[in-house]
Amino acid sequence: MLHAWKFFAAFAIAFALAGAGTAGAYHTQFIAQNCNYYPPTPTSYMTRDGSITVALYARNEGYQWAGGCWNDNDVDDSPGDPTANGGTGGEGPDCSGFTFKVWRESEDQNSTAFHQWWRLRHIHGPYLAAHFKAALGAPNYPLSKSAAIKMDAFASDHHIGMIYVPNADGTDQIIEAKGEAYGTNVWTRTYRGSSTYNGVRRLGWSQP
Amino acid sequence: MDEIRSTHSKISGTAGVLAGALAGILSVALAGTALAHRLVQPAERPLLEATHLPPLLTTRGEKIALRYDVYCALSEAEADTPCSVEGTVFARAGDTGAFQEIAIRAEPGASDSRYVARLPESIAGASAGFSYYAVFRSEDAGISTTMPAGGSAAPQRSRPLGRSIDMVLGAHSFGGEREADARVAEAAWGSGTAEVGLEQGRNLTPIGGSAFDVEEDGSVVVLDEANKRLLRWQRGAESPDSVPLEINGTLADMSIDKDGTVFVLETTGAHGKPLLRTFTPQGTSKATIAIAGRPSQVRVGPDGPVVLQSASAQWMSAEREGQPVSVSGQLSAGETGRPFSDGREIVILRNGDEVRVALVGGTGVRRSWVVQSETPLAEVQLAEPHGTGVVLVTRVINDDRDEFVVLVLSRRGVVNRFSLDSSDWAETAPLSRFRLQGSSLYQLGSTPAGLFVDRFDLEVE
Repeated sequence: MLHAWKFFAAFAIAFALAGAGTAGAYHTQFIAQNCNYYPPTPTSYMTRDGSITVALYARNEGYQWAGGCWNDNDVDDSPGDPTANGGTGGEGPDCSGFTFKVWRESEDQNSTAFHQWWRLRHIHGPYLAAHFKAALGAPNYPLSKSAAIKMDAFASDHHIGMIYVPNADGTDQIIEAKGEAYGTNVWTRTYRGSSTYNGVRRLGWSQP
Repeated sequence: MDEIRSTHSKISGTAGVLAGALAGILSVALAGTALAHRLVQPAERPLLEATHLPPLLTTRGEKIALRYDVYCALSEAEADTPCSVEGTVFARAGDTGAFQEIAIRAEPGASDSRYVARLPESIAGASAGFSYYAVFRSEDAGISTTMPAGGSAAPQRSRPLGRSIDMVLGAHSFGGEREADARVAEAAWGSGTAEVGLEQGRNLTPIGGSAFDVEEDGSVVVLDEANKRLLRWQRGAESPDSVPLEINGTLADMSIDKDGTVFVLETTGAHGKPLLRTFTPQGTSKATIAIAGRPSQVRVGPDGPVVLQSASAQWMSAEREGQPVSVSGQLSAGETGRPFSDGREIVILRNGDEVRVALVGGTGVRRSWVVQSETPLAEVQLAEPHGTGVVLVTRVINDDRDEFVVLVLSRRGVVNRFSLDSSDWAETAPLSRFRLQGSSLYQLGSTPAGLFVDRFDLEVE
């Protein structure tokens, strides 16, 4: 009877400790359990429509500061991660990582080649939002905001989002990884009008 | 013998503890693996989406083509090989009668919006305008989509401007902003009783004081979503009263009804689904209403809150006679114009560096304006009736600067015009920077130090 009591006591303590540890480290598990580090698939061309399609598969997924890996179940699988902490290993891209992947850019900043990374490849890429704003890297170049069309982007020192479609009132529907409380989705924004944002275009789109 | 028994007992006890601990750890590991497995099964679902910028207002002789972008894929891996799509526009002259089917054709060489329907002149040139909706189907993907989602029950509506009052704004001269007549509310960033919360900190896009409204008595109410409350500055008061609200925020928009009912539109609710929350003036929750599509604004209409859906450019009622309207009910009653309590609607269309504005009544367009600008235009922040005219606030931009331009439009053209600093250090809900109350325009602005609301008297008789 005493041994049984010891067994259950040990079980309870171990269960609680392991559970607590798992809960504490839970948000670090998405990338570890789901994401890969495969090389990208090179493509010979890239269309705005094709990239919008890639971006649309990320809707309703999470946001992870410095992240770049997500699935397609329309759920943020690691909600409530501490913001601005790249070590939490949660689901989703951040704004610049999302743009990097949707724009199929290379880790080599001198390359304009098209690299399809796929959603479960964990990569952020070499650019922060401010780098896109300054049009750093061979594939990125500055663009007058009034000329920006679908899949061009608006970038500030802190954020970047890509145009999905303009609205009748002059705002834009932007597809973006907005923040931990928002995830990744399409929202109406006024980035085109704000002087804190610059226009930036990915080089080399094929039509359409 | 006792020693042996004691040793055996200790071994058994230790084994029991070890077995228990192992079983506990294994249970957690197995449960965790099962949970992770459930979470991460990616669904390679087919996708069919369409976007469209509706020609809400047309000029005489304008070539009308309904252009759509359509995104279709069987999976992410086939993003570059879109599935075949067939589309049909159902269009008719005016608001009533049978719809005529018009095939949508793909124009492979088009640089943008390559799915096109060309309307016959009998519809496109109808004096009452036309209404239409589109259906896209993909046999490969086995799905279809209707745009707008209300289909024949709530089609898009295009109206001719008629004899519009046209004006050309010259090249905008930046730096000539008007001073405010009064600063009616002011708060530093923070979580104190008279402060407004700043979300995301200063290393990400700062978000704070996401929306505001002005009550009939001149009280200014700011939605302090970071601190989950309203801050109300009574007319002439230096510090605000606080009303706690059960909200999640996420760049929420807000409007307040005449009876004090508060409407808060959260664009990112549970699982990305937007919500409209309604509260009494004291902050007691009244209802939480699921909202269709991608809403960007909530305003008070003639019969309760109305929400602008960006996906369709339609205004939809979220409540009728105090009762929530279901998502399907919202979609099947979308309207092109923003409805006002006097029965009029306002329709706007920014088209390049031109803004078209129409004041619509029971018989159609009552008065319309076309504003062209040599300096590029961004969004229309506000367009509301003002007497028999309209107050229009739009943003002029170049690649380094932006300012708001306020135009008071009447049948004589522009009767008052001035510029305002954009003062948009912190992000707000997209279209909640201005409010019109009586003959005063109010602007929500922000700096790295805090938030303010300024009043500008329009000085128009």
